[in-house]
Amino acid sequence: MTAPISARTGTTMMRRKVRKSSDRPWTFYVLASFFALYVIALYGPMISIYILSFQDVQGGLVFPMRGVSLYWFNELIMQTRAGDVSGAFSRSMYLAVSVTVITVVVSFMAGMAFRRRFRGDTIVFYLMIASLVAPGLVLGIGIGLGFNMLGIETSWYTSALGAQLSWTLPFGILVMFAVMSRLNNDWEEAARDLGASRAQTIILVILPILAPGLIAVALFGFTLSYDEFARTLQTAGPLNTLPLEIWSMTLNVTSPSLYALGTVSTVVSFIIIGVSLGSIVMLQRRSAARLNNAK
Amino acid sequence: MKLSRNMTGWLNVTPLLAVLVPFFIVPILVVSVASVMQTDGYGGMFMDFTLGKYLDVATSALTYNLYFATIKFALLTLVFSAFIGFWVAYFLVFHVRSKLIAMGLFLVCTVPFWTSNIIRMISWIPLLGKEGLVNQALLGAGLIHQPLEFLLYSSFAVVVAYVHQLTIFMIVPIFNSMARIDKRVIEAALDAGAGRWDIMRMIVIPMSKSGIALGAIFVVSIVMGDFFVVKVMSGGGTASVVGAFYEDISVLQYPTAAASAVILTIIVMLMVAVILRVVDIRREITL
Amino acid sequence: MSTGKGDIELAGVAKSYDGSTYAVDGINLKIPDGAYCCLLGPSGCGKSTILRMIAGHEDPTVGEILIGGEDVVGLDPVERRTAMMFQSYALFPHLSVRDNIAFALRVRGMAKGARDDKVDAMIEKVQLGEFANRLPAQLSGGQQQRVALARAAITEPRVLLLDEPLSALDEHLRIKMRAELSRMQRDLGITFIHVTHTQMEAIALADMVVVMDKGQIRQAAPAPEVYARPRDRYVAEFIGGQNVLSGTIGQVNGVRATLAGARFSAINIPIVQSRRLESGQMLDIAVRRDDIDLLRPGGAGVPEGSTAIEGSVIGVEYQGNFVKVMLEAGGEDEFVAYVPERRFFEDALSIGDRVLAVWQIDHAHLLA
Repeated sequence: MTAPISARTGTTMMRRKVRKSSDRPWTFYVLASFFALYVIALYGPMISIYILSFQDVQGGLVFPMRGVSLYWFNELIMQTRAGDVSGAFSRSMYLAVSVTVITVVVSFMAGMAFRRRFRGDTIVFYLMIASLVAPGLVLGIGIGLGFNMLGIETSWYTSALGAQLSWTLPFGILVMFAVMSRLNNDWEEAARDLGASRAQTIILVILPILAPGLIAVALFGFTLSYDEFARTLQTAGPLNTLPLEIWSMTLNVTSPSLYALGTVSTVVSFIIIGVSLGSIVMLQRRSAARLNNAK
Repeated sequence: MKLSRNMTGWLNVTPLLAVLVPFFIVPILVVSVASVMQTDGYGGMFMDFTLGKYLDVATSALTYNLYFATIKFALLTLVFSAFIGFWVAYFLVFHVRSKLIAMGLFLVCTVPFWTSNIIRMISWIPLLGKEGLVNQALLGAGLIHQPLEFLLYSSFAVVVAYVHQLTIFMIVPIFNSMARIDKRVIEAALDAGAGRWDIMRMIVIPMSKSGIALGAIFVVSIVMGDFFVVKVMSGGGTASVVGAFYEDISVLQYPTAAASAVILTIIVMLMVAVILRVVDIRREITL
Repeated sequence: MSTGKGDIELAGVAKSYDGSTYAVDGINLKIPDGAYCCLLGPSGCGKSTILRMIAGHEDPTVGEILIGGEDVVGLDPVERRTAMMFQSYALFPHLSVRDNIAFALRVRGMAKGARDDKVDAMIEKVQLGEFANRLPAQLSGGQQQRVALARAAITEPRVLLLDEPLSALDEHLRIKMRAELSRMQRDLGITFIHVTHTQMEAIALADMVVVMDKGQIRQAAPAPEVYARPRDRYVAEFIGGQNVLSGTIGQVNGVRATLAGARFSAINIPIVQSRRLESGQMLDIAVRRDDIDLLRPGGAGVPEGSTAIEGSVIGVEYQGNFVKVMLEAGGEDEFVAYVPERRFFEDALSIGDRVLAVWQIDHAHLLA
């Protein structure tokens, strides 16, 4: 009885679809080309240095490519001309991981606070924005001088950590606002109504719902720290982080080993994105599997 | 015992304040204090209240040149990145019909953000250099007979590097605010006889304002606080505000550096305040 | 215990968010144990505020709330043994149907075995067996509503609070789920308090309808009474089905009085024991739309014991079992008669026709 009706709606839907895809406005093609140009400009330069990093001994800083080898990577590892790259790399990793963990926890708490108005919230908000926009080197100098006055040595795991947090936290909280806009007050009330304590509500309801957003905040925290330069410059103390190391290389090294470093650091970045995205997918797979296996 | 709303709020922002107070407020105060002290010329400082450094900075023609150059870079970068960011976001939100493809293209735009800024900057060298790809291509095509010199180590290169690094800060917030525009509003406007330009002027632009403002805050504050891109990409030919006081630090002129730092901080805060006045970001992003 | 376990009493309850304006004010209400009570009113009338105060999600500014004779102000929802079903359902999106329903037992620390048994029984009761392992996003609106109901009911509350439970559903499903709510309430045998802005929903479901306006209760009574004998003009117009006429009382003669309005000449109205009517007094009366008979003027005239006003037809709507005839009469925006379908077509009226709207005097109802 219902068959003819559904068949008819089926054909109208199909007809509409066909008509829709056939007449794209001219603006589509203009903007699509614009977008393509943007992507080329975005990736083109980076790809060119990845290619140039695989040159031979006699390779230079510009095209054409001279031979193919891993010579410049070897050079990089040998640290003969590149300074303490591996030490800087591991310090940057430790630092980035610490910044990430702190950023996620503190941003989550602050995000929860800003869901409701409280007296003085505007002051905290603008303080945060001010910390975000303050020139990095100014803060770096202030922190460096402050430590100096107190007679504490600056180091990458104290002063630089704090300096980086003064920038990753406001950033993380802004992302958190976007994440939390999806959080419906009713969920919390429903949990309370069903007898959950505050802690149970957070652990069983809020955190699982926000998990993908929290991973995004973590990714931001990691990258911002791993790449931080201006705030770290005056606060890292005697031992360099990776961006500082790269910086001194750009000033001193004029060989493709600089490009090799670029390739390596990009590979590391990609591994981190891969792991993060992979963990999101795995989390979803696991909960889907759990649902299927239950019962 | 139930905590009051104010108490819970403050408890939750305590860790944030525990970072912002020692690593933002105190350093700014330290710099302000240092700016009115005297130097012994060997890196030491002693208290002898003077506004002399401010006077030096404010009366130096160099200061004005530096600010002129830096603000010029900030505005140029702002204009280009906002223009590119707006149209890229517009394309993704309104022209790509499949949600999945739009999301994929959006990720394509954001991936470089996760790689090193410095590396991305130096990656222009093999392209823009005297023997770089662009010059080779133009020479090969017979369009020019001598390599173009202004491509690298010039103001042009500085703006290219900034736009390359910072457009992402425009795309993400504009994309976010555009994605929240209800498509039915636009359909209703079309039904009411609105043209393409009317929709742009009356719906799309007003509703992406908060995204543009947020992006502008990032771009302006990053360019104003940067000295590294200018130093490398201009080939040392152009100085910047931050670069100048970094020089002061390396010759241990802390009070002078501190005075320019305070002035710069005030100027950046004012620029951001102007943007915040135009768009109430707080309301737009927290609700 | 002298009082039933799920009876509710609100005494002098008021709620203000800003200290000056009141969302609800002077609420006194008694709801018997096991009743199906609907709070009915337009949006912003304070009905949801009352529900949330009973649930314990908000505290009254002044007044007492008693459940089963015990003052519950300041207690947590769990201690009150109330459960709430949210307008959005508020199902946890990351938990399956089964885990959503089990949530309350899980946070109470109930052992997994005992928990499973209870959850299975509940899933059976709401007929969600085949969907037990799905996520809420994979369910239809009606199924989501049943999950929400089951999740609330598993706490074995003495009162179930429903905030606009049917508003997210389409018309067809709404009527189906309405019947299901009614069945659930009989099954569970507990008090249901249901907030709605739809008159038909309230009348169809409730033992007791509470009509609200601007933070105050206008009438609280069983559905037939609210419908047939509205207390005042507001209730009559909000519930619908009535024509309201305003006028001034003329003569009063023991069994009948007359009422004359600006746009209609004197009609007869009944005198009831509970009301003293005086000549010159302003009065509103309500006449049910289905009590009105339409006659052509100059025919047999107005029958004995009836009264009439004259007007002209401005609209006719066919409704199936009856025909809705709109008149310009009595000075009101709209004076409506519901004429049974067969009767209407014996002598069909068309727009512009002059008619007499006739009703039995005793069928008119005096409003406060």
